[in-house]
Amino acid sequence: MPSLTTETAAPTGVLGARAALLWGVIATVLVTVATIGALLIAPEDADQGVIQRIFYFHVALALVSLVAFAVACVAGITFLRARTERWDDVGEAAVRLGLLFSVLVIITGSIWAKASWGTWWVWADPRLVTYLIVVLIYAAYFVLRSSVDDDRRMRFSAIYAIAGFASVPLSFYSVRVAESFVHPVVFTSSGANMPGSMLVWFIISFVAMLALFIALLEVELIGRRTERALRRVAIAMENA
Amino acid sequence: MTGGSQYVVAAYAVIWFLVVAYIVLLAARTARVSRQVEAISRLLERKGINPDEDGDA
Repeated sequence: MPSLTTETAAPTGVLGARAALLWGVIATVLVTVATIGALLIAPEDADQGVIQRIFYFHVALALVSLVAFAVACVAGITFLRARTERWDDVGEAAVRLGLLFSVLVIITGSIWAKASWGTWWVWADPRLVTYLIVVLIYAAYFVLRSSVDDDRRMRFSAIYAIAGFASVPLSFYSVRVAESFVHPVVFTSSGANMPGSMLVWFIISFVAMLALFIALLEVELIGRRTERALRRVAIAMENA
Repeated sequence: MTGGSQYVVAAYAVIWFLVVAYIVLLAARTARVSRQVEAISRLLERKGINPDEDGDA
């Protein structure tokens, strides 16, 4: 079994501080453009009216949250192979951001449900319930992390992130398998059930959320590596 | 506001608020790390090591 290695290089993220700044600027511009487009420019839905505008960010956030959990899974696999702290950092940051995005999905979804269905939550809907299960599984990731120490924490977290990712397809396909009539299916194997003028704003919203995720991940990683480096310096100074 | 537009505004306001709050938390952590770096720098100066000096010089 390979031993855990630490990195003594300058505290940067996967791509570095300049990349974080660049992604931050890209994300700010894209999120602003997407908000304006979704609220003011995209055509109004003939069936749901103005309420449908929640769709653009709600679905984009949901997809990016699943991307975040996929990143955590890949980081977990890479950690178990390479045993470097960097991949533990990537995994934890990805789960944290995935949870942030998931909470936003649930809140915006509940607001949409109240406006559209007259209720904040529908327990009978498989998409809502399975997505909540995914969120609870990843929330438990932090309970696990806080209950074990050091190397075991990293190893257990990596294994949990890999195992937890099994719940993601469950949520993704649940609505298709259960043929839910409450939660609409917009994207099918035959394409998107929306006109091109709406689809373009959804794609912009999705890219904006993806850029936001990458920017926040970069900043998280820089912060984590800086804190680790500082701890090592403090320990070295105490022992000197 | 009519026709459910208040729900749309609420949804987008929540997204912007939570994202900005998260960035504020990240900024607070950066400020804490900055204070720790300054403390270590002062400690090194007291020990007679100039942290501004280039190690390769």
